[in-house]
This record gives sequence, C-alpha cells and structure tokens, in this order.
Amino acid sequence: MIRPLIALSLWLCCIGSAFANDKVVLMLNWYVYGEHGPFFYGKAKGLYAAEGIDLEIQEGRGSGATVQAVAAKSADFGYADVTTMMRAAIKGAPIIAVGVLNQTTAMSVMGFADKNMRKPQDIIGKTIAITPADSLTQIWPLFLKKTGLKESDVRIVAGDAQTKLNAVINGRADLLLGAVMDQSMRIKDATGKDVYCIRFADYGIHLVGDGVIANTDFVKQNPDLVRRFMAATTKAVEGAAAAPDETVDAILAADPKAGKRETLLQGFTLATQFYTTPETKDKPPFSVTDENMAESVALMVEYGGLDASAKDNPKQFYTNDYLRK
Amino acid sequence: MPRAGAAGRRMLGLHQAAWIRPLLLLIVLIGSWDLAIRIFHIPPYQIPAPIDVVKSLWSDWPELIAEAWPTTYATLAGFLLSALFGIPVAMLIAASRTVESFVYPLLVFSQSVPKIAIAPLLVVWFGFDIMPKIICAFMLGFFPIVVSSVQGFKSVDPDMIDLVRAMRANRLQIYRAVSLPHAMPAIFTGLKVSATLAVVGAVVGEFVGSNSGIGYVMQRAIGTFDLPVMFSALIVLAMMGVILFWLVDFVERLVIPWHASRREDIVISAN
Repeated sequence: MIRPLIALSLWLCCIGSAFANDKVVLMLNWYVYGEHGPFFYGKAKGLYAAEGIDLEIQEGRGSGATVQAVAAKSADFGYADVTTMMRAAIKGAPIIAVGVLNQTTAMSVMGFADKNMRKPQDIIGKTIAITPADSLTQIWPLFLKKTGLKESDVRIVAGDAQTKLNAVINGRADLLLGAVMDQSMRIKDATGKDVYCIRFADYGIHLVGDGVIANTDFVKQNPDLVRRFMAATTKAVEGAAAAPDETVDAILAADPKAGKRETLLQGFTLATQFYTTPETKDKPPFSVTDENMAESVALMVEYGGLDASAKDNPKQFYTNDYLRK
Repeated sequence: MPRAGAAGRRMLGLHQAAWIRPLLLLIVLIGSWDLAIRIFHIPPYQIPAPIDVVKSLWSDWPELIAEAWPTTYATLAGFLLSALFGIPVAMLIAASRTVESFVYPLLVFSQSVPKIAIAPLLVVWFGFDIMPKIICAFMLGFFPIVVSSVQGFKSVDPDMIDLVRAMRANRLQIYRAVSLPHAMPAIFTGLKVSATLAVVGAVVGEFVGSNSGIGYVMQRAIGTFDLPVMFSALIVLAMMGVILFWLVDFVERLVIPWHASRREDIVISAN
C-alpha cells in the first residue's frame, strides 16, 4: 500500500520539477493603469501558468527606464513605447520588440473638455506642458507641421511626467502632450472632469506605440520561453478585450490603488482601439505589418533623432517570429 | 634670500598638497573608470566612456554654459536666502531657550521630509519660472546654516561673556565683540555645506519643471539616452558647486582672516 504511494509521489515530484514554472519578470512602462489590463487578466486567468510561466509584474517609471532595465537584463520583458526603444537600440542597447501591441499612435494633446479645445486651431495661444525629449515631444513638430501650426503659436512649459499632470490639473498649463488612454484617465481620476484628446493619428501621423520588448540575448537564449510568453500574452489580450469588466477586476485585485474602477475601465477600453490597423484587424494581436514599422522608423529618423541608417533595416527593431501565426 | 627660499618651498609644498594630490587622484579615478568600461565591456548606453564625456563637454560647452546661468541664479538666490534667514534664526535659537524649545524640534522634523517629494508641488504652487528652483535651493541650503550657526553661537565661552559684561557691555556690544566673532567659523562651515546643497536643490527644482537650466539639459539627455551629455551636465554642476564653495571660502578668508590663517592649507574642506 505504502510503496505505490511513494512511487506516485516520486513520480509527481519528477513531473513537478520537469514542468517547474519559469519565473518571468515583466516591467511595465509606468505605474499601473487601464492599458496594462491584459497582463493582469492573463495572470488572474492562469494563462501564463498554463504556459509554464510564473509571471511577476513590476511597475515602471517611464518607457525609457523600462527599456534600460530590459537592456541591462534587470527585467526579462518590458512593456514600453516601441519608438523609445528604437532610440535606445540605435545607441547600442541590445533590445528588440517581440510584439507591438499598439499599432496606431495614442499620442495626443489633451486638455479639460470644458475648455472646448477640440481641434488644432483651438490650441493657439495656449500653454502646453511637455516632458523634454520624450517621444511625444519629438513627434510634436510633425503634429504642428501637419496641422499648419507654428511653434510660436503655443507656449511650452517643460517638466517631468507628474508635473505635466499637475500643471493641467492646477491650471498652470491648458494642455499636455500625452497618450489617449493614460494621462486623460489620471486627470479624470484626480478631478472627476472629462478630458478631450486631440489625437495625432487624426492628422495623418502613423506611428506604432507600446509593445512587449526583450533583451536580444535573452530572446536568442530562450526562444521557447519567449514564444510561450507571447502566446499567453496574446491570449490575454484577446480575452481581456472581450471581457473588460473582468480585466479591471484583475487589475484591482492585484493593485487596489491602481485607480478608480470607472476610469480603469474607460482607459482599458480606449487602449483596445490601438491594437490593430485595417491591415491587421483579422490577425492575432501583436502582428504588426512591416510597412507600419518601416513608416514608424522613417518618422523617427526624421523627427525622433534616430540615425538615418536605421531606415535601411527596420527589422533590427522588431520580430514577429515568436507570435502565433 | 632665506625667506624667499622658504616661501618657494612653501609654495611647492602647497602645490603638492593642495593641487597635485586631488588632481592625481582624479586622473587615477578617470583611468579606472575607463579601464572598468574596457574590462567589463560596459556598453555606452549604461555608462559612457570618459573620452565621450570629454568630447560632449567640448562640443556642447556653449550650450552647457548658457544653461548653467539659470541654474546659477537659482542657486545663488536660494543660497543667499538660506544665509539671510538661517543666521538670524540660529541667533534666536541660540539666544533663547524658549525659542529653541519651540522651533528647533520642528526644524529638525522639517528636514527629515525628503525635498524631492515636495518639489513637484512647488511647480504647482509657483509655476514654471525661477521661483520654485530658488525655494528648492533654499530648502536644502537652509538647515546646515542653522545647525552650524546655532552650534557656533552656543559654543561661546561663558567666561568671556561674563568678562565683557563685567566691563558693562550691553547686549549688542557683547554680541558684536564676543558672540559673532566666536560663531563666525561655524557659520562659514554651515555656509559652505549650504553652498553645495543649494546647487543640488536648484537642479531638483529644474528636474521637475523647467524650460531651461542644467536640470533641463539632464532630463532631455535622459530622454534621448544621451549619457555623455548627461555626464557633462553633471560635471558642469559639480564645477558650479566647487566655484561657489571657493567663493564662500574666499569671503571667509577676508572676513575672519584670523581663523583661516590658523588652519592648514587645504583647498577644499568643510571645516
């Protein structure tokens, strides 16, 4: 009676060690907000565990810091702005996007809805809060060009990410440069007032946004793990998009202070619209097209301070090899 | 002749002690920095090579200097405010046990608040112009002056005060003849510490919200992963701190030469 039990437990131990979960650290681009829903949904629903991954989600302090952490292997994966990643990669950081989630840009210039700033001409003479040299600020001249505005039409005040928010909330600035589903929701959380976003995408600016990045050496050494991680994340994105309420539940269960339920839900719903372009709407999430990436790289060369040589090989910045076909 | 020889020797000795040694140490440090990068293959996006920093210092020098001015203004203004408020507050604290019992604990309490946490609020309260940076520099520079000055005023020999009191000196005379001169060395110690901290304060202020200054340059450099520029900005900042320190040291030598002459020849010392 005892023997079979010992044999069984030994066998279970072997199985256990053979299938011991890989510990994976994902660093987000920022403090938790609605856009990060899929990762929490995937973790809560056991999608990562099903792929043998024990996922730890860490908050970040801006895409730049996340990119550097992933380049230095302080985190296995990062969720960060892919154009910011390009700027670090061209300086020699060994990083690559293994999945581009936001395939259209969420960049916008936003202010309180009751101030009636709905189109580019409405912002003339206003004060805009920016963060020096972030992706938004680098693309800003292109927005001005596309909308026929001049740099002198607005007054710029510069500060860090929190200062941008504070400036608009306290009336020190009329608008800020931010992402549609990010800062607008934070301001709404703090003030209860609606924010209107004038979207760069509506004025012919096509650029990729946030995605999953990894260290190139890590990807080479752990192709199977990367494939499993992206498989779980793809399922998580699909599942979360279909169940926004459960997604917000998952965020709040992991971090009760992540924000108000309503704004998290609104922020996540806003984020889902950037997942596809007309070309990729029938494909699984993350399947960015080569044309989209080439166009993004070209824009970053022209406006983002990316070296001109980057245009010759946009594929150095991303790969779709680890995605579900 | 022997006097000139002695002076010459002293000059040589001074140079060896005061200039050559820190310079040698600096060269060794930069050498090991360079060596560490080569040996451990540290990539430039993590730590830049010294030569790249020198190149960026050279090419960006005009911009760095231009941006150093707003930081300098904020630093100087914050530092002067620290001295203007710090020394009288210290005098009050040292003069009255009542004031001390009320104010001093709160002052210590206020210093335990991390300034970096308040800096974003300063922008909310005072906007994006130079004011928040001055206040930030003041907040960092104020405390060392108070602490040192209190110590200075309190360490006056009571016998000395009794002596001049016996000579029928009034309070002001006692203060001018005994307390202030006695406290001066300690006050200058506080001023020197405060000078270097004021630079830090001004940059913290610029970091959270500014359209110009070294803090702005640093934030922009972080955004573009341009570490050589970031390090150049740090060097300019350090130079500002050193220059301000020297200036205070110079004023100290003018104001209390009797004290400075008693000290060993040390280029930079907080004592």
